Amino acid sequence: MNHTLSILLQNEAGALVRVAGLFAARGYNIDTLTVAATHDPAVSRLTLSLQCDDDALGQILQQTRKLVDVLQVAHPANALAA
Amino acid sequence: MSGAEVIVQVIAHEGVEVMFGYSGGAILPVYDAVFRYNAEHARADGSEPIPLVVPANEQGAGFMAAGYARASGKVGVAIVTSGPGATNMVTPVRDSMADSIPLVVICGQVGTAAIGSDAFQEAPISNIMGACAKHVFLVTDATQLEATVRTAFTLARSGRPGPVVVDVPKDVQNAALSFRGAGELALNGYRARLRAVEQATLSDADCVALFAALMQAERPLIYAGGGVIAADAAQALRAFVDAFGLPVTTTLMGLGGFDSTDPLALHLLGMHGTAYANYAVEDCDFVLALGARFDDRVAGVPGKFAPRAKFIAQVDIDPAEIGKVKSVDWHHVGPLKRALERLTAYGRAHELRPQLGAWHAHVAELKRVHAMNYDRASALIQPYAVIEAINRHAQGRAIVSTGVGQHQMWAAQYFDFRAPRHWLTSGSMGTMGFGLPAAIGAQFAQRDKLVIDIDGDASIRMNIGELETVTTYGLPLKIVVLNNVGDGMVRQWQKLYFKGRFAASDKSLHKKDFVLAARADGFDWARRLERNDALESTIADFLAFDGPAFLEVMIDPDAGVYPMVGPGASYAQMITGDFIASRAMPVAPEATTTHMF
Ligand SMILES: Cc1ncc(C[n+]2csc(CCOP(=O)(O)OP(=O)(O)O)c2C)c(N)n1
Ligand SMILES: [Mg+2]
Repeated sequence: MNHTLSILLQNEAGALVRVAGLFAARGYNIDTLTVAATHDPAVSRLTLSLQCDDDALGQILQQTRKLVDVLQVAHPANALAA
Repeated sequence: MSGAEVIVQVIAHEGVEVMFGYSGGAILPVYDAVFRYNAEHARADGSEPIPLVVPANEQGAGFMAAGYARASGKVGVAIVTSGPGATNMVTPVRDSMADSIPLVVICGQVGTAAIGSDAFQEAPISNIMGACAKHVFLVTDATQLEATVRTAFTLARSGRPGPVVVDVPKDVQNAALSFRGAGELALNGYRARLRAVEQATLSDADCVALFAALMQAERPLIYAGGGVIAADAAQALRAFVDAFGLPVTTTLMGLGGFDSTDPLALHLLGMHGTAYANYAVEDCDFVLALGARFDDRVAGVPGKFAPRAKFIAQVDIDPAEIGKVKSVDWHHVGPLKRALERLTAYGRAHELRPQLGAWHAHVAELKRVHAMNYDRASALIQPYAVIEAINRHAQGRAIVSTGVGQHQMWAAQYFDFRAPRHWLTSGSMGTMGFGLPAAIGAQFAQRDKLVIDIDGDASIRMNIGELETVTTYGLPLKIVVLNNVGDGMVRQWQKLYFKGRFAASDKSLHKKDFVLAARADGFDWARRLERNDALESTIADFLAFDGPAFLEVMIDPDAGVYPMVGPGASYAQMITGDFIASRAMPVAPEATTTHMF
């Protein structure tokens, strides 16, 4: 099923690569990806969509939250958002 | 102060006692700063406050730092140059990530202006390490260097520990900076999550729910992992078991987390676990997983793991591990030590004492009937007998490191482990070549302890250059090579799953004389044991030698690792071999190729 995630990320060299790398290493293909500035220049917002089983979604969200430069991970369409 | 001096100053403030690394162009300023720091701060006896131990290969430095960290609980530090120095460090960094071992690795990098130009000895270390470390920093702004290095230590040791890499371009090492002596990077996201986990406490309702299930259980079991050791929770586990009487089985990473000589200890579980531990897992009706992650060597078929358990509870510091493999009925994310102390206090205050007499008798009977055993009448030297003989001297008090393969499993099965941080093994990555450098690092952490590397003839070849490191630094390390003339573990799988076609796993044409090799590297005590009747006296002599000693033992090349829960099999289908009693008729392994590993 298609899921859209919204990730707040420290705007640092390499941070985007680590998010993308995490999804790739765990076998997910990112279908769409947008990186946008926020009102805080040190923080960017990443919006990405991917195909993922509902069961596996919680795990990839938790793994994303382990990345040191990640500030927040949300799944706006779903109660799993936190 | 130069950037290089800032790095050394932060390292000194962090209380680092020893570092491991290999020099090169892009890290020369830091090496020079270490040299000057040690000269200026030499101790009264002339010794250096932060000696820098030089391996034969950077992979050795990484595993030395990891062995130091595993044996001491402190952060291991390694410093290497750019390009090949840093890429040689990838394996120990990934190994430490997979086993949750705290490291700080400082890598030299080409100057900021040259980054991306395919410069001499340039490698994209932040990309490479970013994929396998807990975190990686590429310091391009020299004013952030001090806070970054300090933050690296905090990251490495906090939460679920892991390796942190700091990539420092040469111009940043040479930058003129002022040293502040305090201050870290904000890392708001990480710190907020860490705070939430560290402050998490068990409510009364949590305790009520857990004890309600425990008091109904007739056959409860603790499944303890490496988290018990990382969290310094072994004493809290002991107190919990004293209060409530649950038997304990440990993972490979958890060995030492609970005294294996205790009547309630079931020792190792899983693919090569003891038969009695695995049968206890089959029989139990309640599982309390402590700092353990149901990995595939334990729960190869998650749906068949602990099939009679009506209630599974899990405590871990990492929220991503909860329910990752097996869904659980109760969980707590937080520091394990505090969680166990809270549960023990709650249960005691409410006078909750499960009545487990029948289960204890069952466990004792499993241990008696399905005890570890082997061919004691064989004329060939049995590897199990070698470990048992060493164990009679070590008595669970020596630090033991291993390579990877059959010898690793025999060591895990036949040694006693009485306290944490005495068992150093590459658990998750299973990296051959780990044993010798890890033992070197451990000896630097515990100078007065007996440190023994139980290695394989193939594993030790991977980092055999570090034999010379042992004698260079005069370490009284004891190295045992269990020589079965090949990749024994690979042969065991080829016997079982590839009809005995021993593709590339036989070393009978190999010419190395290990004893001569050890002598060439300065070992005064280096011997080969080939006869059973000399076993006891040789081991006694070997361990009593006051200095580095090397013992090669020519073992039965057909000795296997039993029990074995094959890939895709349940514990009930465990093969126990000819000398360990099985409970059921073992199912013949599929002789077809398997996609499992
Ligand atoms: C670096 C690395 N390469 C390959 C393997 C795969 N492997 C696992 S065990 C093993 C054989 C190890 O042989 P040895 O060290 O002699 O141990 P034995 O099984 O004979 O006791 C191999 C090749 C590995 N674990 N690590
Ligand atoms: Mg071998």
